Amino acid sequence: MRKILWIALREFLAIVWTKAFLFGLLFLPVMIGIVAIFINMMDNDDFRAAGRIALIDPTGRVTAEARQALDSNAMERDLAAGVRENAPPAFEGAAESAADAIEALDLGPDFTLVQLPSDADLDAEKAMLLSADPENALLALVVVHANAIEEPDPAKPFGSYDLYTAPKIDERESGAVRSMLREAIVDLRISAYGLDRGTIDRITRVEGGQSITVTETEEREAFEGLNFILPMAFMFLLFMGIMGGGQGMMTSTIEEKSSRVVEVLLSAVSPMELMAGKLFGHMSASLIGMTIYLVAGLIVLGSASMLGLLDPMLIVYLFVFFFIAYFTIGSFMLAIGSAVNELRETQSLMMPVMIITMLPWFLWLPISRDPNSTISVVASFLPPISSFGMMLRLSSTEPPPAWEVLLSIGVGVLGVYLVLWFAARVFRIGILLTGKPPDFRTLIRWVRMS
Amino acid sequence: MATAVSIQGVTKTFGSQTAVDRLNLEVPKGALYGFIGPNGAGKTTTIRMLMSIMFPDSGKLEVLGHASALEAKDKIGYLPEERGVYKNMKVAAYLKYIARLKGVAEPVIGGRIKQLLERVELPDVGGKQCEELSKGMRQKIQFAASIINEPELLILDEPFSGLDPVSMRLLRNLIVEEHRRGATILFSTHVMPQAEEICDHVIMIHKGRKVLDDPVAAIGGRQDVRTIVVEPFDAEADTSVLSRISGVESQRARGNTIELQLREGTDAATVMRDALGNLRVARIEIKRPRLEDVFVRLVAGDPDDAATLLSELAKPDAREVAE
Repeated sequence: MRKILWIALREFLAIVWTKAFLFGLLFLPVMIGIVAIFINMMDNDDFRAAGRIALIDPTGRVTAEARQALDSNAMERDLAAGVRENAPPAFEGAAESAADAIEALDLGPDFTLVQLPSDADLDAEKAMLLSADPENALLALVVVHANAIEEPDPAKPFGSYDLYTAPKIDERESGAVRSMLREAIVDLRISAYGLDRGTIDRITRVEGGQSITVTETEEREAFEGLNFILPMAFMFLLFMGIMGGGQGMMTSTIEEKSSRVVEVLLSAVSPMELMAGKLFGHMSASLIGMTIYLVAGLIVLGSASMLGLLDPMLIVYLFVFFFIAYFTIGSFMLAIGSAVNELRETQSLMMPVMIITMLPWFLWLPISRDPNSTISVVASFLPPISSFGMMLRLSSTEPPPAWEVLLSIGVGVLGVYLVLWFAARVFRIGILLTGKPPDFRTLIRWVRMS
Repeated sequence: MATAVSIQGVTKTFGSQTAVDRLNLEVPKGALYGFIGPNGAGKTTTIRMLMSIMFPDSGKLEVLGHASALEAKDKIGYLPEERGVYKNMKVAAYLKYIARLKGVAEPVIGGRIKQLLERVELPDVGGKQCEELSKGMRQKIQFAASIINEPELLILDEPFSGLDPVSMRLLRNLIVEEHRRGATILFSTHVMPQAEEICDHVIMIHKGRKVLDDPVAAIGGRQDVRTIVVEPFDAEADTSVLSRISGVESQRARGNTIELQLREGTDAATVMRDALGNLRVARIEIKRPRLEDVFVRLVAGDPDDAATLLSELAKPDAREVAE
């Protein structure tokens, strides 16, 4: 046991006592931040739809109305309303400020509208969409239907418009054209019926009501997104811990094999002691990484006054299922590391492991939405994905009964035993073998041999 | 005498290839045994089985009185043929790690590392990373790691490979020192003069089977009574007179010496006296076969020749030449 601890300590320090570990820990949140900033920049870039748009308008009214719509700040108003409606309760103040700022902007498209006569030559105008002359080239050609505003026959639907565009038009530009035409036609239809657009807007707008979560002890403002995000956050923590540890173990085993240090080690310890030491060492490093992310998440929840939404037992279960999943998937990865000579030789053997670890990501939505469905129950009792499945169910809106949780733990422990049994046999033989990398059939033969 | 290593009828196969074939050998406690044989003879496989890194298909092994080396790993020092170090680890940290795995008591580890680094003449490398060391320096560190637990049994697999003559001499002295300390030593090597010089006893295996198991003194003392080596006083002298001596079957020049091959039943002493009468001789002696001769004949793939030599060399009870 003492030797196992010394091996575990060396493995642990070899991971944690490096800049790479710190870099790895910071890498993920920094990358998430960079991607968020990048997306934000993409959303708020200087893009502004612009160009000449020709309209063949038999109604004679749509073009004028569209010009008027362009001049108003309808787009800014819509955006600001969206920000106000979708803001989480904890960030309402900030959302209001942001919405005000959006309303003060001029984000609307910079279109030049050209009204063509009703009998204009359509083909000649279409040709202008392909013109190389920037002065005369058209971004879009709109043919408004004669019955777009008024319906001669109430039994038939309103007319609309046909939109012809240049081949390389930006989807944001075509979207702006459609939005402009929709605004203009709706305004004209409402006027034609003698109604008031402002009144209709007020009537059709329903503000998002306050959502309150009622628990046995309190009533609190609900954050509906949490039920969606929480299962994913727990699954991410599990995934990160297991893959980080498993990958590290596999790599270090391959390095020990290729640097020939493994035989020196095996003169001092048995293969089983070496394997156990590696498992515990890398598990400790993974636990540290997982715990740091968990604490960071709790701090974020706490700063938004949402810590109370989290059941503390979830954290206990997270660690329980981490141990089960780590020993199941990690042991398998360790066995693969012992069987190959180079990292690139792991590819074919790692494929099933990658599929297994990706499965929970596909099951995340179905399990989160319906935690007691057949697929959810099966996933939570089927090693090696049972840990992920049960963790998703536990963090969902309808946690499973206690007996199911205990049964899942029991099945998981049995899975750990079987995988350790398999991995130990592969490790014992593979660790000293060099040459052609084995396939699964060979691994099974090794298991039988030992 | 108590036995440090005992191998009885051990066989190990890899697929269709038999690496070790019904091998028997015994190494008494306190002995210094050389384990020699050509590449692929089964030396490393035998050593790995002794270390319980591999397990035999059949047969019985005993190491320091235990059925498995796993039960006595802390009393064994091992320098494998394919040896490595953690490149990013500092030398002292590496030795400390191995010492801990070998069960050396914590309070003595520091002192022992310092002493060992001095013994391998690398007193200042403790703080250096292993990857900063040259191949020879690394090999000395690996040897130091193998004796850090002051083992009762030291197994060295090709300890001299890749070393320059100075380092080779240092390592040879260290092995002898360990032997004097009381350790039983079994080492495999291709360097025959080293084996002859420091070993009490040699075991030679070929194609997984033992072909020689004799004390070095016995091998050196055995005389090939059908070959006489003559070194003429004058290198330019006409040596053809030697072939006319009664009983001489043939002669062949080997450098500045002549080897006379005698007919069966010829008295070597008579031929030597006749040679001295016909030629001014600087040196004349009955050929003493060297280990290297046996080894080279085996590796050269002349089994009949090797078998003949072995049959002349080996005692009947120690011989296990393949049929």
